[in-house]
Amino acid sequence: MTARRITSRHVTSRLLPVLALMLIVPLTGCVTSTVQEIREAETGMSTSDSVVLLGRRTLPSNQETETSFLSCVGRRMNAGSNRVKVIDEDDFRDAVFPWFEPRTAPTNTSSLPELIAQPNLAARLNEMGLRYLVWIDGDTDRTDSSGSLTCSVTTAGAGCFGFLTWENNSSYEASIWDIRTGTSAGKISSDAVGTSYMPAVVIPVPIIARVRSSACNSLADQLKTFLSG
Amino acid sequence: MLEFQLIRSTQAVERRPETTIGGSSARVARARRRLRALCVALSLVAVAGCSGTRVSVPPILPVPLVDRLPVTIGVYLSEDLRQYAHREKLETGGDWEIELGSAQTVMFDNLLTGMFTQVRTIPNPQAPGGEVAGVLVPSLEEVQFSTPDQTRTDYFEVWVRYKFQLYDRDGTLAGEWPLTAYGKANAGNYGMSSRQPALQAAALAALRDAMAFFTVQFHTVPPVRAWIAGELGGAP
Repeated sequence: MTARRITSRHVTSRLLPVLALMLIVPLTGCVTSTVQEIREAETGMSTSDSVVLLGRRTLPSNQETETSFLSCVGRRMNAGSNRVKVIDEDDFRDAVFPWFEPRTAPTNTSSLPELIAQPNLAARLNEMGLRYLVWIDGDTDRTDSSGSLTCSVTTAGAGCFGFLTWENNSSYEASIWDIRTGTSAGKISSDAVGTSYMPAVVIPVPIIARVRSSACNSLADQLKTFLSG
Repeated sequence: MLEFQLIRSTQAVERRPETTIGGSSARVARARRRLRALCVALSLVAVAGCSGTRVSVPPILPVPLVDRLPVTIGVYLSEDLRQYAHREKLETGGDWEIELGSAQTVMFDNLLTGMFTQVRTIPNPQAPGGEVAGVLVPSLEEVQFSTPDQTRTDYFEVWVRYKFQLYDRDGTLAGEWPLTAYGKANAGNYGMSSRQPALQAAALAALRDAMAFFTVQFHTVPPVRAWIAGELGGAP
């Protein structure tokens, strides 16, 4: 009886860190990502130039770029080699209010030259060192899901049993506008698709496909390359 | 589908003889306490899911970047406007309140500071006292909102309808016009407990939209054009 208890405790003590690690660091599923670029003009940035990333907030649409995706792209562009100075979206919208609000923001480059010709706005953009404005449009959707998972809690313990699977699809497009010329410099699209799994026999083991993160990294890296010319 | 089952087994635990294993009664008591705490927590989550939300819009609003009109404008903010709160009981659950009044002073101060060379608060729009070229009197006529539960989307949406009255320097009503603004916020941007911050963000977006619309529309409103022409000269 005693020997059994010790063995069980021994096994549990070895298993617990492994199980905890599986919960804390989920396994990664496969993601397929595609990046496409269309260049319409030459680009280049000096060290004092900056970029702003803006999410499309068309009214009243139910498709809106997630703020976490914009933050992710901004963070990635702002770090590493070839880093690009990225202005915070909220700070930018406040600084140039009301010209980039959902109601007033230009929807294409045809109205951009007239907008940036306003002396007040031109001076503010110059003060910020803004060279490129990048509109990011798109989102991440769950395109498929199946399976079931049941968890139970009793005083004797807790456990789950079942299998879940779901597919996420990220599709984003960045339109790059050159603020100095008032024209479009090009477009970059980033698509990623991946299937996540969660098998559970007592402990659920999430195998997550980091679809949005993959689309973010691909888009940010391509934007850095594109803007540096 | 993630199904969560809570199996209540406290009674089975209670029936165990307390003398079988040393210290087991303490373990049973501890397990019962944890189970009770879990039940209470789950009940609170369930209740929170059905109850409403109260939000107050933070007065964090920008100053418009436009050419200032070279006149001194007066502004009169009524007590009703400064105390405005929209309260509504939804069939889908709970009492909801959006408190907009506390943001109105900052909103109109920033808005008019960006649009006019000087701004003065006037206690009576019909007796401006000759210091100002006109007095703007805003009032909130109506507020509506929708939740993701109602629209089957991820968005909280807020609509606000203002009425603006413009009095000239003699205290005579020069004109009035309505302004409808809209704001939305994606609940998905605010994590698990998204109701309060998302509704607050939607209400703030509606006030920003009202400011943006007012800024770009002001010069095109017929009575305003006539008033500007009277103050600055030129054709209305």
